[in-house]
Amino acid sequence: MKVTKIGEFEELVLMTVIVLQKEAYGVAIRKELQERLNTSVSVGSVQSALKRMEDKGYLSSEFGEATAKRGGKRKKIYSATPTGQAVLVQMKEIRSGLWNAMPPFQVDFS
Amino acid sequence: MQTPEHASPPRWPLALLRFFIRDQYLEEIEGDLEEVYFELLEEHSGRRARWLYTLEVIRLFRPNLVKKLLSPTHHIHLDMFKHNLTISLRSYWRQKSSFLINLIGLSTGLACFLLITLWIKDELSMDKFHTHDKQLYQVMEHIKGPNSIGTSTNTAGPVAATLAEEMPEVSIGVTARTKSINPNTLSVGDVNLKAKGLYATEDLFRLFSFELLAGSADQVLADPNSIVLSESLAKRLFERADVATGKSLELAHETALTVAGVFKDTPASSSLRFDYVLPFESWSRENTWVNEWRNSHPQAFVLLNEGTDIDQFNEKIAGYVERMTEGEDSHRQLFVRKFSDNYLYGGFENGVQSGGRIEYVRLFSLIALFILMIACINFMNLSTARATRRLKEIGVKKSMGATRASLISQYISESTLLAFLSCIVALGIVIAALPTFNLITNKELWISLDPYTIGFLVFTILGTGLLAGSYPALYLSSLKPILIIKGTLKSSWGEVLVRKGLVVVQFALSVILIVSVWVVYQQIQFTQNKHLGYDRDNVLIIEKEGKMETPEAAQTFLSELRRIPGVQGAASIDNTMTNSDWRTNSVEWPGKDPEDRTAFEIIQVDYDAIELLDMEMADGRTFSRAFGSDTTAIIFNEAAIRHMGLEDPVGMRLDMWGGTPEIIGVVKDFHYESLHEEVDPLIMYLGDRGRYLTVRVDGQRTKSTIAAIRNLYQEANPGFVLDYNFIDDEYAALYAAENRVSTLSRYFAGLAILISCLGLFGLAMFSAAQRQKEIGIRKVLGASYIQLIRLLSLDFTRMVGIAILIGLPISYYLLRNWLNTFAFSIDLHWYFFLGAGLLALLIAWLTVLLQMTQATRVNPVESLRNE
Repeated sequence: MKVTKIGEFEELVLMTVIVLQKEAYGVAIRKELQERLNTSVSVGSVQSALKRMEDKGYLSSEFGEATAKRGGKRKKIYSATPTGQAVLVQMKEIRSGLWNAMPPFQVDFS
Repeated sequence: MQTPEHASPPRWPLALLRFFIRDQYLEEIEGDLEEVYFELLEEHSGRRARWLYTLEVIRLFRPNLVKKLLSPTHHIHLDMFKHNLTISLRSYWRQKSSFLINLIGLSTGLACFLLITLWIKDELSMDKFHTHDKQLYQVMEHIKGPNSIGTSTNTAGPVAATLAEEMPEVSIGVTARTKSINPNTLSVGDVNLKAKGLYATEDLFRLFSFELLAGSADQVLADPNSIVLSESLAKRLFERADVATGKSLELAHETALTVAGVFKDTPASSSLRFDYVLPFESWSRENTWVNEWRNSHPQAFVLLNEGTDIDQFNEKIAGYVERMTEGEDSHRQLFVRKFSDNYLYGGFENGVQSGGRIEYVRLFSLIALFILMIACINFMNLSTARATRRLKEIGVKKSMGATRASLISQYISESTLLAFLSCIVALGIVIAALPTFNLITNKELWISLDPYTIGFLVFTILGTGLLAGSYPALYLSSLKPILIIKGTLKSSWGEVLVRKGLVVVQFALSVILIVSVWVVYQQIQFTQNKHLGYDRDNVLIIEKEGKMETPEAAQTFLSELRRIPGVQGAASIDNTMTNSDWRTNSVEWPGKDPEDRTAFEIIQVDYDAIELLDMEMADGRTFSRAFGSDTTAIIFNEAAIRHMGLEDPVGMRLDMWGGTPEIIGVVKDFHYESLHEEVDPLIMYLGDRGRYLTVRVDGQRTKSTIAAIRNLYQEANPGFVLDYNFIDDEYAALYAAENRVSTLSRYFAGLAILISCLGLFGLAMFSAAQRQKEIGIRKVLGASYIQLIRLLSLDFTRMVGIAILIGLPISYYLLRNWLNTFAFSIDLHWYFFLGAGLLALLIAWLTVLLQMTQATRVNPVESLRNE
């Protein structure tokens, strides 16, 4: 199986995009991630990951509506492409394969 | 909690964002950030929100979000540059001959230019290294004569000290004998050395920036029995410079001196160069006459306070000598001049500064520019001429939308690239030629790659590139593409005129150089060969030292000398025959104008000296042992008799120096100074205390005779080394500057002509190539070789002819001016000009012929076969 290149942070962003569905735009993705990861995430890192994955073909995007809060600028709504979804599935399979192959954790209390 | 103040995100991070984020992401990211900002505002204070916002902006600096460093427009410039470079290199490669002509021409031109620049830079920096340069002045004298004003650096002994004492503007005054830096024998134990030194008063090292390695500037010259040595002299005497201080040495085997200090060798950029300094007092206490205001001998230097008005100061000191001599010497006017100006602007005419070395600097600057211009003209001519071959390229480029500016930049970059390559070659030539150049110019020049030089080189390359490339660039880029591609473009009349005009300028410059070199050479030959009124060949001059200074010892030595086979005569004399040295104005004759202060040159001669030098007598007789009364006899030269207006002078008695000597003879005028000077009135009187010995040796066996003299000298004068000069060498040295100019201008003129010929060769080659078909057809129709050559060279002959007509009058004017600086000069014969013109024409013809012969030899079949 050919391993597709996707980074850990990219994978998280990609999953967030799918979770958020029609609301998947930059600020919302960042907010969701901050809540789930319980840490602060910069606009730059989110945008950089989005653009990278768009280049790789895992994401597609289209302009959404403009709101007053955004100073009249349109949102960009991201959605996962089939390739992107396939990558996520692939990553999950690799992970579960590895989980299954791992011996149970031995907790040493001594 | 939105306040108007925070209604929108801070401006400058936004501007930054807009500047660096890729345009296609800008709307989205800007919107996101704005949303984030308002969210931040809800949670934080305005200030903190702005700060966090700014931080977010900065963290957007990610490679995949920011603009590419080289935007598409940048790429075009880079690509065009690469393209131009390739085109240039290809065109060099394809047209190797014209490339080589350009490269050789331009690099030789640049090499000359660089060499001359180095020399000029050195000349201009002479004497400027002194820390006090701006305030360092030399006191000089204008001497009013009946008809003219003379100017001299000789001043009365007390001048410097008195000015320093009485004038508030003067802070330091130094008296020194800088004109008489004579060799003297210094000895430590068995080591005897000849070195040149000067006498100077205490503050020499405070006034001038000659660096002291040992001793303090205000102390080293305080003790009259001390000496200050140069580093290298100290090394030669004591083996190490740092141990010299405090040691003692002997001067001329008679005076014991203590070394008070050591100074760093005087730099090449100093016009004053000496190996040791003695306190002025040690000289003046034996020559007390120097302390009188009536006499003029040493040089005086002063340090003026900053902001001193020189004109006012000069007015103040003008009448100083008159006051100090109680009105007696009203003709001597003091004035000051910047010391460092004296080197370049040393000439004075009738009390006004005129000429000096600066004239040579100007001359060579002109030559440098001429040569560079000639080389640039080559490039211009060849590239416009060659352009016909590249017209298609230009046409296509223009049709494709190339702008005029881009074509201009292409040609300029092509010429700049060539200038750059030439500059590298030129640097090689300069480095190879510097040792010889230094030998000729008597300098220690070296090229160092300091920022200043590199800047200058870059400037020269750009300047040359621009100069050489400007005309082709402007001309070629202006052509209409449709005409070019249709092939109907003919060289316009104007273009041909410019090209021809440039060749004319080139050859006019060459003609000027040819005539100048010829005339300068003739004049130098004239000065070297002129009969001076005495026979200067094979005559030695030896300065008396040690025992020789006592007349009896000198006489014994002379009589022993005469016994050496090969010595044809020996006598004592008080002049080196090449310098004016001692003058008096106290000669009285009947009918003398009381205002007449003409100074008569005085030479003390011994018996036989006049005969030895082979001077001719116009009247009367020379000094002779057969007449006992000759100790009170004098001999004048013709100039003196003319000046005094005496008729039948022999046998007359005149008042002079409180006696009434009898005129026993009149010697024919002879030159005792350079030919720049007229022969002035002169008196000779008999005496055996002259400072020199003069010996005539047999020219056939000079070497062995001098060896014998040296042995004899060592016996007669132990501890001293024989130091002699040939009068003819010394005489030649009077024209060292002219000789240098003559040699250098010969080289540079040769190069200039060579470069011009290269250009002409290139043009001939081009014109032959252009008329290849015509030549073929003419040959088929039976034209002879001679007819073809005549046809092809007519154009060039005409151009060179015009150049000669322009060049000759200019050279006449320039040379007339130069020859006027000599009191005795050659005439400007017509044949100098005719010869130079013919020579230029001949060179041009040979160059063209060389090319044309080849062109006319081509089989017509070859040139007509394809269309």
